Amino acid sequence: MIEVRNVTKKYGSTIAVDNISFDVKDGEVVGFLGPNGAGKSTTMNMITGFIEPTSGQIIINGNDISKRPRMAKKDIGYMPENVPLYYELTAKEFITYMAELKLVKRNERKEQVEKVIKETGLEEVKNKLIRNLSRGYKQRVSMAGALVGNPDVIILDEPTVGLDPKQITEIRSLIKELGKKHTVILSSHILSEVSQICERVIIINKGKIIAIDTPENLEKSALEKNSISLTVEDSKNNMTKLKEKIKEIDAIELVKDNEDGTKQYIITTSAKVDLRKKLFEILPKEEIVIFELKKTETTLEDAFIKLIDTTKNAKNDGTEGKKEIKQDNKKKEEKK
Amino acid sequence: MWTVFKKEFKSYFLSPIGYVAIGIFMLMYSIFFYLTTITYGSVFMGDLYYATARYGLLIMIPLLTMRMFAEERKSGTEQLLLTSPRSVTSIVLGKFFAAVAVILITLIFSIVYPVIISFFGNVNILTLIVTMLGFLLVAMAAISIGMLASSITENQIIAAIITIVVLVAPWFLVDISTIFSSIDLIDKFIKFPSGLISIADLVSLLSITVMCILITIILIKRRKMVK
Repeated sequence: MIEVRNVTKKYGSTIAVDNISFDVKDGEVVGFLGPNGAGKSTTMNMITGFIEPTSGQIIINGNDISKRPRMAKKDIGYMPENVPLYYELTAKEFITYMAELKLVKRNERKEQVEKVIKETGLEEVKNKLIRNLSRGYKQRVSMAGALVGNPDVIILDEPTVGLDPKQITEIRSLIKELGKKHTVILSSHILSEVSQICERVIIINKGKIIAIDTPENLEKSALEKNSISLTVEDSKNNMTKLKEKIKEIDAIELVKDNEDGTKQYIITTSAKVDLRKKLFEILPKEEIVIFELKKTETTLEDAFIKLIDTTKNAKNDGTEGKKEIKQDNKKKEEKK
Repeated sequence: MWTVFKKEFKSYFLSPIGYVAIGIFMLMYSIFFYLTTITYGSVFMGDLYYATARYGLLIMIPLLTMRMFAEERKSGTEQLLLTSPRSVTSIVLGKFFAAVAVILITLIFSIVYPVIISFFGNVNILTLIVTMLGFLLVAMAAISIGMLASSITENQIIAAIITIVVLVAPWFLVDISTIFSSIDLIDKFIKFPSGLISIADLVSLLSITVMCILITIILIKRRKMVK
């Protein structure tokens, strides 16, 4: 159980994280989503006790990370961004060192290390120097370092960055597997990843939480209009008259004129109307042949962009506001 | 502390740094063995250790200390250490004693020449032990200074230069004011080779060491707040 209470982090006058609060229950997989520089990594660094919040409280399994760091940190496995590793060690040596650092008991250590090596698929390379491993394997070694000692809470900062598609699916299924026994927080800016793995999503922008919900609900909330993609053969050009025949249609738009004489249209209606059945009934009567009919779905991406945009508009009406944000960004870059 | 110590000590010998440090010591030590003991035909080993401490440590210490925290910070591995349940104090002490252990190894190697000399004359073993103790104390103070330097920058080269400057500057600053002799580590080593343990020197070497270690711990803890 992770409790984040009114946490703020300031760097001088810039506010990196602005008064955020949320809970993560045991066994939950939560995704942290936000554009670059939104405060994802800062928040994760605060949860893991790497940096101290300016104000507010972070409690891990009942232990305040600032007041009882030893107890709180014992329950956390952290895989930082950029995969920091000791290149002069072998994969196994590194994982063993992490186990020792995390106070894994001597008699359990060997067994634990072997277990995570197996889980992360590192058996073939465990005796190689980390220096000589490929990016994907380095990522896994870092992950193994986070998993060793079986911590309750696992925090992964952009776990799939820089991996090839096969490795990404492997890491994702590993995270899903982990979610069964552990509490997992992961950050990402890949939306499909978050919607696949996570039960709950926290969207954060400019240091503020702008939404906490399930991926499905977020997708639904972004849904203002229903749209249907339609590919037809329409020799008599009856499609233009369709709008008069079906009153629910808000707009018909020709998207593409295909070489084989078919045309692709997008038909938009209000969110409550589903026209698919009606179209199947009416179009043949108008001598229009349907080649393809598909409901286009809104994605988490749409929800994300919509949420980010609405906060932007709410905050900066004039040009002055925009200038301020630019300055803020500059300051942040200088800090880095 | 033991965990960090073990890993750091191993790392010295997984990279060339540990070997280079020992090599430099033996090189310096051998040159001065020729220049002092052999040239004068004396059984007195004090000058030998003094000269090696004065010039050898100047290269060895930055080598051993420059990467301590600077590298961890640059590569981000400091995140792994500081998010582990280990305390900052145990991490700092682990790293400190790993470097001290390398110095201890060099001191064990250095016994070679006194053993050779003992075939040709009487080497005063008690004086030799006091000399080596003095060498170790000076090295510990220098390591703590180097460690502090390494904890304030991400750049190993800058850390090394700061260490060398702090070690060398008092040699020249003494001409301006005698106050600077109190931070001249080598100045505190002068009495040890004659078999004399001066309480004043002992206390000041130890207090420099403890002070630098404490400042390192405070700085690392503080960085958590401002980072």
